[in-house]
Amino acid sequence: MFVKKLIFAVAALTLAFGGITAQAQDNGALLDLLVRKKIITDQEAEEIRGELTKEFSGTPAGKLKLSTPVTELELYGDARVRYEIRNGNSGPPSTLVTNPNDAQQRNRARYRLRLGLRGTLLDDWFFGLRLETSTSPRSTNVTFGDDSGPFGKTSDGAFVGQAYLGYKGIRDVTLTVGRMPNPFITSSMVWDGDINPEGLAEQYKHTFNLSYGGGTSAASAESYSKDAKGGAVAAVTSEPYKMSIDVFANFGQFVYDDVNPENPIGPRSNGVPNTDAYMLGWQVGAKFNFTKDMYLRIAPTLYNYTGNGDSFNKLYSGDPDVLDEEGDRIALNQTGVDSLFVFNMPTEFGFKIGELPARVFGDFAVNLDAEDRARAAGHPESDDQRYAYQIGVGVGQLKAKHDWQIQAFWQHAEQYALDPNLVDSDIFDSRVNMEGIAIQAGYAVSDAVTFNLTYAYGEQIDNGLGTGGVGDIGVNPLREYQLFQADLNWKF
Amino acid sequence: MKITSLALIAGLAFASTEARADRLVIKGSDTLGAKLVPQLAEQFKAQNPGTTFDIAAEGSTTGIAAITDGTAQIGMSSRRAKPAEVGAASSKGVNMKPTIVAYDGLGVIVNAKNPITNLTKKQVEQIFTGDVTDWSAVGGSGGKISIYTRNTSSGTYSDWKELAMKKRDYAGGSQKMAGHEQIAAEVGKNANGIGYVGLAYMNAPGIKVVAIEGAKPTQQAVRNKSWPYARPTFYYTNGEPSGVAKQFLDFTLSSTGQKIVDRVGFVGVNEVK
Repeated sequence: MFVKKLIFAVAALTLAFGGITAQAQDNGALLDLLVRKKIITDQEAEEIRGELTKEFSGTPAGKLKLSTPVTELELYGDARVRYEIRNGNSGPPSTLVTNPNDAQQRNRARYRLRLGLRGTLLDDWFFGLRLETSTSPRSTNVTFGDDSGPFGKTSDGAFVGQAYLGYKGIRDVTLTVGRMPNPFITSSMVWDGDINPEGLAEQYKHTFNLSYGGGTSAASAESYSKDAKGGAVAAVTSEPYKMSIDVFANFGQFVYDDVNPENPIGPRSNGVPNTDAYMLGWQVGAKFNFTKDMYLRIAPTLYNYTGNGDSFNKLYSGDPDVLDEEGDRIALNQTGVDSLFVFNMPTEFGFKIGELPARVFGDFAVNLDAEDRARAAGHPESDDQRYAYQIGVGVGQLKAKHDWQIQAFWQHAEQYALDPNLVDSDIFDSRVNMEGIAIQAGYAVSDAVTFNLTYAYGEQIDNGLGTGGVGDIGVNPLREYQLFQADLNWKF
Repeated sequence: MKITSLALIAGLAFASTEARADRLVIKGSDTLGAKLVPQLAEQFKAQNPGTTFDIAAEGSTTGIAAITDGTAQIGMSSRRAKPAEVGAASSKGVNMKPTIVAYDGLGVIVNAKNPITNLTKKQVEQIFTGDVTDWSAVGGSGGKISIYTRNTSSGTYSDWKELAMKKRDYAGGSQKMAGHEQIAAEVGKNANGIGYVGLAYMNAPGIKVVAIEGAKPTQQAVRNKSWPYARPTFYYTNGEPSGVAKQFLDFTLSSTGQKIVDRVGFVGVNEVK
């Protein structure tokens, strides 16, 4: 009995000084050892375990209750402070800029916060919630000092960035509904990484393991013998070459633009039925894992738009505003999604240089309906402006303290190639008809804190067209554009 | 007349009390409740005429909840109560007390026609977590692996995750069964099936038990604690049991009760080294 009390006291002290995460069951190894040494019996160990569990349930961690359907829960998040300089030079064909060779510069200190909760539920369901700063779909940044009063909080709200439910009860299949992380393999050329699309996604992934050759060779028994004595020769055994292929398919049906109302009182303004606009995506691809450290991933994708909506159901121009005969300024459309049927193929080849992971990556996109898009924009002569591509290299990774990473890429995105509402908001200021280079470098100060630098330089591709899209630099076209960002990130 | 009525009422009340005292409600684990506890109950009734049993084997979670709610005197469980369950019980003034009544060994079963005879612990983990989805990846003749598990209210469901899967999640698409017998029946019907059952359920038709790293699950392997998937099984009570619950617990731990434990296929508490 004394021994049992002593053990209980030791275990209780272990629990008390072991931190809040030291659950009662963690003393299982100690109790098992004592049972094996025959110091206590299994039943006595169970009683101690039960007492410790009861004690634990009275601690702050033990009082944290999760609803029964939750089988796993993770609280996670990250935050960032950034200093950024954006500079854009104006140029033709704008007729509005009084100083055509002038530049607009925007310097700002910013921060962002993302706080998430994700977990699994009973019966193969899962869910995710994430709160983010900023109302922008393409950014979670809040600029210091740009709201009411010194140190105002007007722009410091938290908004729902992700809220989704998923199901994994069918082998190899993941179904998701809600406002979700982007289910497509993509690049910043096509999708800004901050966008969380809303709607439905269906994903499939299956791994095929392949094995070639190998086995024992009898040929060695007949091989040349220097001393011509022959005799017993050990058979040669070779390992088979093994590789795997991850075949995947991702499909998305996203509500791009809700129309309100579907059926208005009185006649419809445009004479056609009002319908919501949907963005549809089909992606089928594969990742070939040649070795543990070398892979090739290709992900051919098609994007299409259906329905009307009421905000983006306009003919895209991309050109700068014009003045009418009375000298009034007329804004031309920068966001319309007419005639967009985009084929896209992000590709990545990964390998190692010594212990360093490296990758060569690229993306290619072509708008198969670019002729119509150019014609609607008033530039039928520019219907060849339908291509976009990105190619780059990267070395390193940012997973643990003292890790570093550097990558550089060239990007070229023509005026009618892509949806300007989705492209990255930083590298070329949310614009198309831009090409240039981006260089990014990062260093992990600790496992949780990283420091990153980004520099980008871009130029207008076709000087006869605007640089379509709505960016932070209020100049169209952007003859030249430069970006510098210094980020301090921390995750938790 | 008044005295007669009072006597009658008192008699009825007494009889009613007696009847309630001899009724034992046991809820919880299918591992224990499908075979072992009913056989123990039969023998106990033979020795204690008048005792009635109400046994519901719907998973360990239901047994532990029944003790917390006070809807059973004994909660059968093939796993330990979780901190949240102990906390919930504590907040209601219930002292969750475990008593080990038998040991069990879980074994991996496949269809009798499956050529697989042996798996490593790593392969077992890979199969049940979905890392491996085709029999060819573990030396079989090919075919998509069909996984059969217990349902989520089962203690065996969570025990298997701890013992065999490094606490990882089951593969998506694994099919959840109400009991060990159902797992054995489904694996017996499906040439690509795999599942796990306790020692008492390994002789079902159409299945065979796979060796793990050369060893088969036996009562002896559980006795000497060499079987990697062995575990204790419990009766949970609210503090020290009393009345017929105590009698039944004592009977389970008696030599007669432990002989039944052995006969059904479990391992007695005093045999484990």
